Amino acid sequence: MAAGFKTVEPLEYYRRFLKENCRPDGRELGEFRTTTINIGSITTADGSALVKLGNTTVICGVKAEFAAPPVDSLNKGYIVPNVDLPPLCSSRFRSGPPGEEAQVASQFIADVIENSQIIQKEDLCISHGKLAWVLYCDLICLDYDGNILDACTFALLAALKNVQLPAVTINEETGLAEVNFKKKSHLNIRTHPIATSFAIFDDTLLIVDPTGEEEHLATGTLTVVMDEEGKLCCLHKPGGSGLTGAKLQDCMSRAVTRHKEINKLMDEVIESVKPK
Amino acid sequence: MAGLELLSDQGYRVDGRRAGELRKIQARMGVFAQADGSAYIEQGNTKALAVVYGPHEMRGSRSRALPDRALVNCQYSMATFSTGERKRRPHGDRKACEMGLQLRQTFEAAILTQLYPRSQIDIYVQVLQADGGNYAACVNAATLAVLDAGIPMRDFVCACSAGFVDGTALADLSHVEEAAGGPQLALALLPASGQLALLEMDARLHEDHLQQVLEAASQAARDVHALLDRVVRQHVREAALLLGD
Repeated sequence: MAAGFKTVEPLEYYRRFLKENCRPDGRELGEFRTTTINIGSITTADGSALVKLGNTTVICGVKAEFAAPPVDSLNKGYIVPNVDLPPLCSSRFRSGPPGEEAQVASQFIADVIENSQIIQKEDLCISHGKLAWVLYCDLICLDYDGNILDACTFALLAALKNVQLPAVTINEETGLAEVNFKKKSHLNIRTHPIATSFAIFDDTLLIVDPTGEEEHLATGTLTVVMDEEGKLCCLHKPGGSGLTGAKLQDCMSRAVTRHKEINKLMDEVIESVKPK
Repeated sequence: MAGLELLSDQGYRVDGRRAGELRKIQARMGVFAQADGSAYIEQGNTKALAVVYGPHEMRGSRSRALPDRALVNCQYSMATFSTGERKRRPHGDRKACEMGLQLRQTFEAAILTQLYPRSQIDIYVQVLQADGGNYAACVNAATLAVLDAGIPMRDFVCACSAGFVDGTALADLSHVEEAAGGPQLALALLPASGQLALLEMDARLHEDHLQQVLEAASQAARDVHALLDRVVRQHVREAALLLGD
């Protein structure tokens, strides 16, 4: 009976739950789904991470290549993110060129990297004006069940922490680069931007970590990206219903708590994979 | 010729395996919630996952619908970070299209498509890490995914690659062995009837040796079948436990 009602009147079905301050999957309005993370599983990539937020699964692989630095800033490298939402993650996506959602997600990740200064681009320079690293960060969604932005930012951060770059020296005589694969060093990750997404229901109610169905029924979404010292890196509110300043403040405090939880989880995981 | 010795005098390969030995295979079914059927397989370092949607109504061009059977649509994609050198075009290039076509031909032979006229079955395969035997891993993962989706098949489809070095047939080639440039055979087998769904060979091989290589590949495919059978039974047992008796 409940299944029939859910198909015919999905919004009413949801409202019944929201009135009791909970959701169909048993979560509270401010509760996240179970987050699991697995790092370093793809050995062909220089750094990799797999993040599961409930059913939403995103894998990030980072590959480093050489390139000439950009002409207007000869001492900087590049970080090139790309989010791919293939048709295998959900039946709503078709094969072909990247759709709107994938492009928005890619741009969002690029903005987060730029705004939070997660890596100083100067650190990626090998030889001023001649050689620099370019980090291609490819994020593939394997299972789409809402809240793709949170999963992508977390996967990106974990993968970057996992990256190990070999030491490169420029041979003065030949001018060629010599790569020493035995000496590998981690990247200098300066900040930890963590995203927290909310969905707005009926212009008033805010729920955290929306699933695919909830995103579909919501009247608006909001994503807050927080840093360690409670610094705001990015605020993404693409249209939708309006929000009062007070509600926005609540969201930001929730984002701060989430940041602490995720930071702790990531430290535990990185500690566990360290070779003893 | 100096370089890597693919088969040592004692009969050991580069990674320490024997000539007819398979790499370690681990597989799981039902890994994704959105798809109708899904499976993940690891053959040594090659990691592939397969996702099945369907049977469902035709998407896009209704004119392509077949009046008497289902249309099987396969897409093969490699992650950009799956190979040693970054892959610039994950899908849509010639090799991926060829693989997609081979997978489609393989599964059209096995799936009972006459049961679903005018519908479409989508099989998406994604290679997360490529270390040789990509086609075989994809076929094995796709078989499990189709079974997970509950689509009836004639038989399991089990695939394995084989090569020929120093007069010995090697089963389940890794990337190093494939890159060496010797003859390679990819075989997809329906184990119960012993019929070949697909057979493809690269490089030159003397016809006297063909039987030996085919035997090695078939035996390896049958070993894979035994393993996949165990995985499916285990999965069904777990599902039955969850549903309660």
